Amino acid sequence: MLLWIAIFLIIIVVVLLLIFFGYYNRIIRLENRIDNSWAQIDVQLRRRAELIPNLMETVKGYMKHEKEVLENVTKARSALMSAKTPQDNINADNMLTGALKSLFAVAENYPDLKANQNFLSLQDELTNTENKIAYSRQHFNDSVLVFNNLVETIPGKWFAGFMGKKTRDMLQIPDAAREVPKVKF
Amino acid sequence: MINMEKKLLVEDHIRRNKRQTVVVCTLMALLFIVVILAFGYIYFQNIYIALIFAVPIGIGYVVITYSISVSSVIAAAKARPANPNIREEKLLIHRVEEMSIAAGLPMPKVYVQDSEYINAFATGKNPKEGVICVTTGALRKLNQEELEGVISHEMSHIKNYDILIATVTIGVVGAIALISEIVFWSMFWGGGRSRGKGEGNLILLAIAILLIILAPIFARLTYLAISRRREYLADSTGAYLSRNPEGLAKALEKIKQDHPTTKPKGSKTVAPLYISNPFKKMNASSLTSTHPPIDERIRRLRSM
Repeated sequence: MLLWIAIFLIIIVVVLLLIFFGYYNRIIRLENRIDNSWAQIDVQLRRRAELIPNLMETVKGYMKHEKEVLENVTKARSALMSAKTPQDNINADNMLTGALKSLFAVAENYPDLKANQNFLSLQDELTNTENKIAYSRQHFNDSVLVFNNLVETIPGKWFAGFMGKKTRDMLQIPDAAREVPKVKF
Repeated sequence: MINMEKKLLVEDHIRRNKRQTVVVCTLMALLFIVVILAFGYIYFQNIYIALIFAVPIGIGYVVITYSISVSSVIAAAKARPANPNIREEKLLIHRVEEMSIAAGLPMPKVYVQDSEYINAFATGKNPKEGVICVTTGALRKLNQEELEGVISHEMSHIKNYDILIATVTIGVVGAIALISEIVFWSMFWGGGRSRGKGEGNLILLAIAILLIILAPIFARLTYLAISRRREYLADSTGAYLSRNPEGLAKALEKIKQDHPTTKPKGSKTVAPLYISNPFKKMNASSLTSTHPPIDERIRRLRSM
């Protein structure tokens, strides 16, 4: 009889341990996914900032009368370079998106520029990084949603409390940026 | 619009798909072993010799098919790696990069197939070694938004574990068909071995022959039923990834109206892999088609 009780208790302990390990690993894994998504966004933001000087160099010779447009791009780029928090980064990036949008719109008036292979390829690259940023941001928010759902519902909530994990913030996308079509070609 | 509820639904579907994939692949392997067993029985008239003969060949074949599946599909499609120095193909690589980020998957290898038709397929053994192949016709005729839609659909096939089930089924169905053909022709020419060793044997022989005839049909129908359902799922997962169902809907519309004069190239066995069946006559639907009707797919995408 005593033996049976002992076996029963051992089984219960093992099952509880397995559940604990399962939740522990899941929370860590989801948290890593969020950090990794952010790293992705960061890589793309940097790549985009690196492309801007090349673009300016190419455009300068053609666009002599568009000082303001060019200045806006430079300003947005330095805001991006000096941004510290994720949300600052995203805000600066939205500014850059807007500035580039008007630059490419103005470029329509310069047939020579539009025919420039270098310009064309930079435009492709910038569209690519812009889309990548948008999709990384989307993936980041998706990952945060899954994580938050886990740590806010029972029993995940208890494990999260035990591990000292709190819900993460999603990246807010400003209203102005939302009107920019995500994929513009 | 696509909301977050949908996301959870998609995750659930993927989990169920993974399970279903394992079950179906195991069943296909078993079916294949049974067919070889029947084949061995017809020739040796002895169940034990047949067993010794069937199991290693069956398992060996499945393992080999699995390990060379990707390269053989690419070879069958006569595809080549995308060239980043050509602008159209560079843009294709860009769209694939973007969708892999949206899906949270590693970057698949990108291939191009020379063909007038608008088409694309995905293959690979698992999401870590995915392959996406697009026709030159698609690159020329689709705009970037539509191309993104097509890529989102293919990326979903990778994410949903559809690519493994497709490659394994294609391999097994192909092999079973080959065996049936051998049996059929050898009987036609009066081949086979000594017969008439008693009635029990004759019944077993009849069962074996029937099995060989029915097996490919059974394997194919199972696969087709799954394939059609997964096309819808890949459409909705794709729309979820791109957040733009309209891109894929427009691409499907272009595919519908696309009738090049040349004959489609490549082998028929890989047809189920494509976004739309390259060998299909218009509106051939129902039990024997690999893909759901295109109008229905467009309608579902537009109602998201």
